Amino acid sequence: MNQRRFIVGAVLIAAAVSYLVYAGIKTTSIYYFEMDEFLARRTAHAGEDLRVKGWVRSGSIKWDATTNALAFELARKDGSSPIPVAYNGILPDMFAEGREVVVEGRYEVPGLRAKQIMTSCPSKYEANKDGQPPGA
Amino acid sequence: MPEIGRLAICLALLCAAFSVGASLTGALRRRRDFVRAGEHAAYATFALVVLAAGILLQALLTHDFSLEYVAAYSSSTLPTNYTVAALWGGQKGSLLFWAFMLTLFTTIVQWQNRERNRELMPYVTATLMIVAVFFLGLVTFITDPFERLPVPAMEGADLNPLLQNYWMMIHPPSLYTGYVSASVPFAFGMAALATGRLGDQWIRSTRRWALFSWFFLSLGNLFGAMWAYEVLGWGGYWAWDPVENAAFMPWLVSTAYLHSVMIQEKKDMLRVWNMVLVLLTFTLTIFGTFLTRSGVISSVHSFTQSGLGPFFIGFLILVLLVAGGLVAYRLPELRTTGTIESFLSREAAFLFNNLILVGIAFAVFWGTVFPVLSEWVRGVKITVGPPFFNRVNAPLGVALLFLMGVGPVIAWRRATPKNLWRAFAFPVGSGLAAAVVLPLVGVPFGYAYATFAIGVFVMGTIVQEFWRGMRARQALLTESAPRALARVVGKNRRRYGGYVIHVGIVMMFVGIASSSMFRVEAQQTLAAGQEMTAGRYTLRFERIENHEDGHMASSAAVMSVFRDGVQIDTLKPEKRFYKKPKQPTTEVANRSTLREDLYLVLGSYDPQTKLATILAYVNPLVVWIWIGGLVLAMGTAIAVWPTAAERRAEVAVPGAVPAE
Repeated sequence: MNQRRFIVGAVLIAAAVSYLVYAGIKTTSIYYFEMDEFLARRTAHAGEDLRVKGWVRSGSIKWDATTNALAFELARKDGSSPIPVAYNGILPDMFAEGREVVVEGRYEVPGLRAKQIMTSCPSKYEANKDGQPPGA
Repeated sequence: MPEIGRLAICLALLCAAFSVGASLTGALRRRRDFVRAGEHAAYATFALVVLAAGILLQALLTHDFSLEYVAAYSSSTLPTNYTVAALWGGQKGSLLFWAFMLTLFTTIVQWQNRERNRELMPYVTATLMIVAVFFLGLVTFITDPFERLPVPAMEGADLNPLLQNYWMMIHPPSLYTGYVSASVPFAFGMAALATGRLGDQWIRSTRRWALFSWFFLSLGNLFGAMWAYEVLGWGGYWAWDPVENAAFMPWLVSTAYLHSVMIQEKKDMLRVWNMVLVLLTFTLTIFGTFLTRSGVISSVHSFTQSGLGPFFIGFLILVLLVAGGLVAYRLPELRTTGTIESFLSREAAFLFNNLILVGIAFAVFWGTVFPVLSEWVRGVKITVGPPFFNRVNAPLGVALLFLMGVGPVIAWRRATPKNLWRAFAFPVGSGLAAAVVLPLVGVPFGYAYATFAIGVFVMGTIVQEFWRGMRARQALLTESAPRALARVVGKNRRRYGGYVIHVGIVMMFVGIASSSMFRVEAQQTLAAGQEMTAGRYTLRFERIENHEDGHMASSAAVMSVFRDGVQIDTLKPEKRFYKKPKQPTTEVANRSTLREDLYLVLGSYDPQTKLATILAYVNPLVVWIWIGGLVLAMGTAIAVWPTAAERRAEVAVPGAVPAE
């Protein structure tokens, strides 16, 4: 058999993979904002699914054990520009005040309705720049 | 002592650099003494790295908290086994551990080849030592594990509680073994390119190494999945996190190589392709280390930047340039005349399986680096999550599964209608039968349905192969069935070991498909005595049991498990509070059966209201993923077991299909 038909087969597979990747990214991708970016662009993205990385503001956590409702404020590292976050579900173990977290959810004025809260898995934790020991 | 460790690292770096220079000089000037000097320097590098690793281990075991690394990853109350594991628990230690594995494998390779492959060896040594120079350079100049604290700490910060788990003892080392041993085929490939000895010799010399690396990559991924399942407490085992993808990509490419290399051995085709796969596997192991270590891509695992990124990128570019340049230079010699004759041939099936495996690796790569690329190109970070990877990989996985059945039984060169019928009547029949029965037992159409039906087809081909092999031998010799089966497997270990591996993979596919498609989830907040249901189970929260010792405190929810009104078990999902890092962890309770896992998580417990929130998952057939892993390990053991008779048997049994 001539190699040309084979190249056609290979190209077809490559095209199928490329299409799957293209369509997959198109339908499943979401914005990932740092806190500052989010603050600047939030109105434009209201009602969309987003990921926002920020810090859990100290003193802002409210947790209702009966309903598993969590409310807290996502803020800059120094606690400024807090955005209220509402979440329903189990708390991740690493969730705590002052922690860096990623909230996945929807921005509905005035705050974020979280679908998922991600804290970092500490297996690769390194000491922070301000010298805190890992995991602290 | 730490100063001696530091000195050992510096000397190891010098030795490795010397070894590179001497080996290359020896090879280019044909000076045997230089080559020997290069090899001796590589042995010395290994000895020095062992010394350094030993000193770091001793510092951990003696709780020398004047060392930053020891203070950051251990404590005086940490159990000894985890104190040992802390050696690879943090970045600095794990890079040293990498250097240790690499120099260990270099030593083994040199010793294996002290009388063989003399033309290739100087380049093999030089390549491996260049990699060693890179890692030792990082350990020497960037992340010094022997760094002292300005003021010695009184106590260590302790190993993170999530890592205080027995998987920590075996998952990272097995993954590292797989990662690092991929350097050996790479080094031989580079040597083949450098010397122009592009025949099968380098492939034959590294066949077991490639399989060894693939085996440990498989185990490493599997152990990682088990760890996530048991320890992270979210009810799943795989989340397409960049760090997981980092370990998955080299596995995919390495799998592709193990298949296509057979075509080179049998048909002398695909030389360029195989070379590219070997180079790519190695590059992906370095890229994987970069992903886990640099924090360039924010993963659930690491948020912090470490400054290692540029070095890894630089090294990757160097590797790609040198390897790519050599391939381009040798391209005329690498070209082969063999052509694939028909789509209906084993060559074609293997080629398509290769393209799909590499395609999956590409999709995973693209999804992983997409946030970084989008930030470069468009200035905003766009991420894709598990939905992307599942969407893309589910159809590719099903296609791969199908080819796994076709590949081993279809004829070489060109299948005729007659041998197609002979090879596929039974397996296709079984697959179709399954396709009819599945809806009757309640499996809806979809990926799981396709996976099950095609899985039965693949199992049909494998059963048929074993059966025919056995019957053929019985027809020739009067042997009992088990004896004939054992003999036929024993004489074609590579081939039948491969089939056993396929059985394991089918089991995993089935486990993955059903646990991701048919998982049942329930969550409820309960007071003592209250009940909830999850799938066919009723769960009653009885009470909380508290326990405390010096290391941690724990609260366990005692859950009575009922099915059809009968109590069948008591499970105790737990929350733990580790005292030193002041951190809670979740200990799931899992009742695992061949049919399904009942997986309970204590989401929270409020001592004031005495309410416990329980999260329950019913994950069907999960245990088959682990059993499949065991079968895969067995198959690999069969395939690599050395036999002196292997080659003779191939020639001696006339009419038998040659062993792969």
